Amino acid sequence: MFEPVSESKQGISGLLAITNFKLTFVTAEENVDDIHQQNHLLGYTDICLSNVDNIYLIGDKKRKLTTGVSVPSKVKGIFIVCKNLRTWSFSFKFSDIGDGRNILNALLHHAFPTKHYLLFAYEYSLSEYIIVPASVTDDQLTKAAWHFQGSRPPIWSWSNDSGAALVKMAELSISIPDRTQENIMLENIRKNHPKKIQPVIIELNKDISIKSVSYSFTKLVELCSPDSIRQFIHQENNFYSLLENTKWLKHVSLCLRKSVEACEELNDGVPVILQGINHKCLLISVIGNFLIYISFKIAEGSGRDFCCIISSLVQLLLDPHFRTIVGFQSLIQKEWVAAGHPFCDRLGHLKNDGSEKAPLFLLYLDCVWQLCQQFPAYFEFTETYLTTLWDSTHVSIFETFIFNSERDRVKAASDPTNQLVLRSVWDWREQFSDHDIQLFYNPLYAPALADSKLHQIKPNHGISNLEIWSQCYFRWIPHLIINNGGKNQIEMYARLLQNDLAQLKIDANEATVTSSNIDQLSTCLLQMNINSFYPFSNKSSGNNVSTPIMNASFIMNESMIDSQSLLTTTD
Amino acid sequence: MNKRGSADLLSIDQNNSKNASSDSLNSDSKSSSLNSKIGQELNLSGNESGPLLLNGERVQGVARDVTYLCPYSGPARGVLTFTNYKLHFRSIDRETPYVVEMPLGAVSRIEKVGGASSRGENSYGIEIFCKDMRNLRFAHKQENHSRRNPLFAFQYSETFSENGWNVYEPIAELKRMGINNDMWKISKINDTYSVCDSYPAVWAVPTAATDEDLQASAAFRSRGRLPVLSWIHPESQATITRCAQPLVGVGGKRSREDERYVQYIMDANAQSHKLFIMDARPMANAVANKAKGGGYEAEDAYQNSEVVFLDIHNIHVMRESLRKLKELCFPTIDETRWLSGLESTMWLKHIKCIVAGAVKIVDKVETHKTSVLVHCSDGWDRTAQLTALAMLLLDPYYRTIKGFEVLIEKEWLSFGHKFQQRIGHGDEHHSDADRSPVFVQFIDCVWQVTQQFPNAFQFNEHFLTTILDHLYSCRFGTFLCSSERERVQERLKEKTVSLWSYINSQLPLYQNPLYWDGPTHQLVLMPIASMRYIKPWKSFYCRWNPSMRQQDPVYQRTRELLVQKEQLKKKAEECRREQAVRTNARSMNSAGQAAPRLHSPVHS
Repeated sequence: MFEPVSESKQGISGLLAITNFKLTFVTAEENVDDIHQQNHLLGYTDICLSNVDNIYLIGDKKRKLTTGVSVPSKVKGIFIVCKNLRTWSFSFKFSDIGDGRNILNALLHHAFPTKHYLLFAYEYSLSEYIIVPASVTDDQLTKAAWHFQGSRPPIWSWSNDSGAALVKMAELSISIPDRTQENIMLENIRKNHPKKIQPVIIELNKDISIKSVSYSFTKLVELCSPDSIRQFIHQENNFYSLLENTKWLKHVSLCLRKSVEACEELNDGVPVILQGINHKCLLISVIGNFLIYISFKIAEGSGRDFCCIISSLVQLLLDPHFRTIVGFQSLIQKEWVAAGHPFCDRLGHLKNDGSEKAPLFLLYLDCVWQLCQQFPAYFEFTETYLTTLWDSTHVSIFETFIFNSERDRVKAASDPTNQLVLRSVWDWREQFSDHDIQLFYNPLYAPALADSKLHQIKPNHGISNLEIWSQCYFRWIPHLIINNGGKNQIEMYARLLQNDLAQLKIDANEATVTSSNIDQLSTCLLQMNINSFYPFSNKSSGNNVSTPIMNASFIMNESMIDSQSLLTTTD
Repeated sequence: MNKRGSADLLSIDQNNSKNASSDSLNSDSKSSSLNSKIGQELNLSGNESGPLLLNGERVQGVARDVTYLCPYSGPARGVLTFTNYKLHFRSIDRETPYVVEMPLGAVSRIEKVGGASSRGENSYGIEIFCKDMRNLRFAHKQENHSRRNPLFAFQYSETFSENGWNVYEPIAELKRMGINNDMWKISKINDTYSVCDSYPAVWAVPTAATDEDLQASAAFRSRGRLPVLSWIHPESQATITRCAQPLVGVGGKRSREDERYVQYIMDANAQSHKLFIMDARPMANAVANKAKGGGYEAEDAYQNSEVVFLDIHNIHVMRESLRKLKELCFPTIDETRWLSGLESTMWLKHIKCIVAGAVKIVDKVETHKTSVLVHCSDGWDRTAQLTALAMLLLDPYYRTIKGFEVLIEKEWLSFGHKFQQRIGHGDEHHSDADRSPVFVQFIDCVWQVTQQFPNAFQFNEHFLTTILDHLYSCRFGTFLCSSERERVQERLKEKTVSLWSYINSQLPLYQNPLYWDGPTHQLVLMPIASMRYIKPWKSFYCRWNPSMRQQDPVYQRTRELLVQKEQLKKKAEECRREQAVRTNARSMNSAGQAAPRLHSPVHS
């Protein structure tokens, strides 16, 4: 195994084994230290198979491998890119000739399953009680329900202070051309508004689709998982235009902009409908009298993708409750899991040619991260929480993010041939120690802000105001570790401050119980030198200076530099 | 942090947050920040009768019925006032008066817009191109041209509680680094600036070198700028020395004396038998310089030394790059092309190159305990950037407010960075080829490092911005003239006020609440010079754009926590006293319990 982004000259030797859950590398060497964030289920050199994104064959030329492709008998080495952007290089130079092939075949077979072969857990069910506008009769409701996909009638999910409600609805069944039922529901929602204001329609930008997000993410992965130091330096030369080409930030910007617009209309008391271009509009949620419609060229699964992003962002901007850890969890359960975001298709858990893979959930988490950057005291959770959440979507043991819909989950749960294991991602103790969970709590969080008038937040959404989420995307590139630096230092400093505050409160007799957790954590943090990717960095990457990057300039593309410097005279 | 009351801290907080949203140049006038809002260039400095004037500032001319063409909020009618220091515009047609101020020193050039035949509204007037990343356009009816009086610093007569001219004492600074010692001595050979007129009067040179050696080496170096000490490692004695290029020329001339002198520098460090010569230029430029009599050290002539080229481009490239950046940032930003637009300015790439160069120097000095000699062509632009930045990374002292002032005084001012020419103080030739944002670039590099090490610096971003504002403003004498000799000649210390007087009299404004002298604070900083981390300094380059103005919430929140801490500290102290009284009262009966100890790992 080689250090990521290296010359691949020196590696660590060990045993590579594959199970139906993970690919694991076992070494006798001492240098392979553990990562700070210790996962109970996966070690530092383990890859959960559902995390595997792409496998490349390394030889004279890098070649992408997919299932069904025959594996050559002699495999020199493989390069694996994970969905969380971590990269792995293994060489089979010193192993028996057939070994590489065997591993690869097993990997290809198990990493891209076609069925939910794993054991699933079922935890959350559709509520037995639903809340609908008061003016809707049961008869209307039942009648309307079958017009919506999955027979799901509009369900109330959230209200703000002024009584404006957020209502979630399933999409209208595409086969039904008649809009009467939809109109009845809309009319009821309009009637429910105190001023009976007719909703206004905003067209959702046409340049976002599952495909474009998918393409964008592929580009982002390419940019963030260089396979060698050479490629890394090559990317350095025009990093900013490469970043622009991924269009990732553009998508983030768009989602934020649409959410801000929806919030603004809401504040002005103008009802909103976000609508796509081809009028296959799908009613997804209603905020007060504000209806959010989203539609796409691709009809399949729509209404359960971008609507999840926009409606959960809107609620995050408007309601401070969702900025707490508990609130955020319920928001995701509500707007993503229960709303039937097709996690399985979008995250590519199963190998299925008909489904479209695109990490919309990551796009959403990135939007949330941008909010955290702009409003660091408004969120109870840290970026470490968000990154860990993203990582957890690739651990196939948890049922939370592996189904396409609640229905699939119910089906899987009631399947008598499968044994059920109840495991939710939200039970963080399944994966992490208390110490690691403590790092999910933002020490800069000021709960008081929740009560103030400022409880709404309005982010800057222009691309020039956005940043790249370096913790999530860069953490596997050792050259980018800032020793004793990075945003982490701010967090640690704030933790120490909070610690002092807690202690002083005790001294001042304001508090009686010691909050020992914080205490332990900060003392612990104090003792080690944390770097910019803590807790995702390898413990051993303590103090080495990454020299390769400093020799980078000589490979710099000369033609990129203005030729002016050679021509001007006074030098 | 000393025993400041919590109320103080809070008021600082307020000031700062307001400054962030108002014109930072007016941060000193308290009234100016009242009523300021984010997203508006609103500033209530002065009133209907005219602008607030500094001591020594006089109104030179007033023009009524002038229209300021704001690129963001449209035209505003008002009164334009010129003083001997600044230009002040105040609107009369808006509910909340709209004020724009700009020191005349920041003017790069003024252009007339339109002619006698111009028709239409606002078609006739002037456009002022500024050095601080903005342009101002005014429209008026009649010809109205006020000559600017550039060097206000000589009229400015404010007194401050601190005297910034005393911040830097060359000998004291050398003593701080442990000189004189066995290997290095203080030399006053340049007392009258006769050996090198662009160098300071006091040098530190190897003890082994005689005055003749110094003279001879100076003769072989461009403009007599021979290698002298910038910094010495407190433990390993590895040094950073700086100079100008050797006068090798096409013929490949050599100077035994210079070679021997460089050998002394190498020998002064017992830890290593090697010397790295860091030539800041791209190799091609260094070679090209031979044609003009310059060049670089041949490795066979300078035994045991290795020449490394750091690939930093010259002042003309940098000027062009910043011009493009201004085009990109002002007045409005094209969001769709922002990232690629940034790349095409090359600015960040240049910044990265300088940071990478400094890291290389730090690596040699710190990790390999090897001395480094830095030069470029004349040794006053790129060399200053590199030595100053490397010193900042190596020595935590320079990361304090006063230390940073010393660093600028020493590496930039005393070693003759040509501020006069590079900035063009009071100079009308805006297209002068000598102008270049070399110092701005250095401050940008410092900002980049502060982004990667948010706890390592005692100063905040506002400190850096203030330095750059007054780099142009000509209100203080600090950045006037091009060398120590000229400053002595002009008697700047007597005739003008130092910027550091102004800054050091209101230190809390410039303090970084995240500064932490914890266990890691003594460490050498190794920033990552990757484009993935080098960012555009938006709060400086884009600060005139109201949509780009952001508060710094992390700072604010940390300040709040610090205030809370102060309050609790007081409270805890009271409790302890109370308890002590009670314990004393009871101590007749039982052995007195020790009062709870204040536990505080952080000394902020």
